[in-house]
Amino acid sequence: MKKGFGSIVLDASFRVLVPFTLVYGVYVLVHGEYSPGGGFQAGALLAVGIILSRLIQGNEKALFNIKGNVALILAGIGTALYALIGFSTIFLGGKFLEYGRLPFSVHDPAELHALGMLGIEIGVTLCVMMTIVAIFDALTGEEEGI
Amino acid sequence: MHIFILQTILLILLVGTGITALAVKDLLASVVLFGAFSFFAVLLYLIMGAPDVAFTEAVIGVVSTVFFIAALNKLKRGCR
Repeated sequence: MKKGFGSIVLDASFRVLVPFTLVYGVYVLVHGEYSPGGGFQAGALLAVGIILSRLIQGNEKALFNIKGNVALILAGIGTALYALIGFSTIFLGGKFLEYGRLPFSVHDPAELHALGMLGIEIGVTLCVMMTIVAIFDALTGEEEGI
Repeated sequence: MHIFILQTILLILLVGTGITALAVKDLLASVVLFGAFSFFAVLLYLIMGAPDVAFTEAVIGVVSTVFFIAALNKLKRGCR
């Protein structure tokens, strides 16, 4: 959106709704092993927060102003994080995504598994969030001469 | 038995909103009806005991509605 749909009601509801959505997204990400949710849903929730701020405040004045190019780079970084954790366990002598081989000094293997899962879920979250933001940017941004 | 009646009502509403979203002429109304279709799908998933799928469907329903409306804004054509 070049110009947002700003009005008093929308601004007031934005101040209540968007911080709640972002905090809920982080909660779904961190709590993903025990409850419904996980990387994909958390990424979509965080992206909904960013898209709402863009819809209401416009592209230029948005609170979380992430452009399409930066979003694509960050999506690539998320995928790279997943691949890094996956392949680092291979180089440490295990299989792909075998969390037990991760080089952290944690004695409980279950805790090590939770740590590795949190790492790859952060990667998935970053990738999904930034891909949704990039699609939205491509749909609403100006055309820069094809 | 109550669950069965609830499932039947929700299924009828799901199919009804889906057919109406396809049949209606106004594109914005079609997008909003598609959002309603997604919401009934969420309720059906919840009743059938798949909260994970329901959560995903709820989030993706919101995101896809936003995408459709953004594309509609760019299309500058109200009806088909």
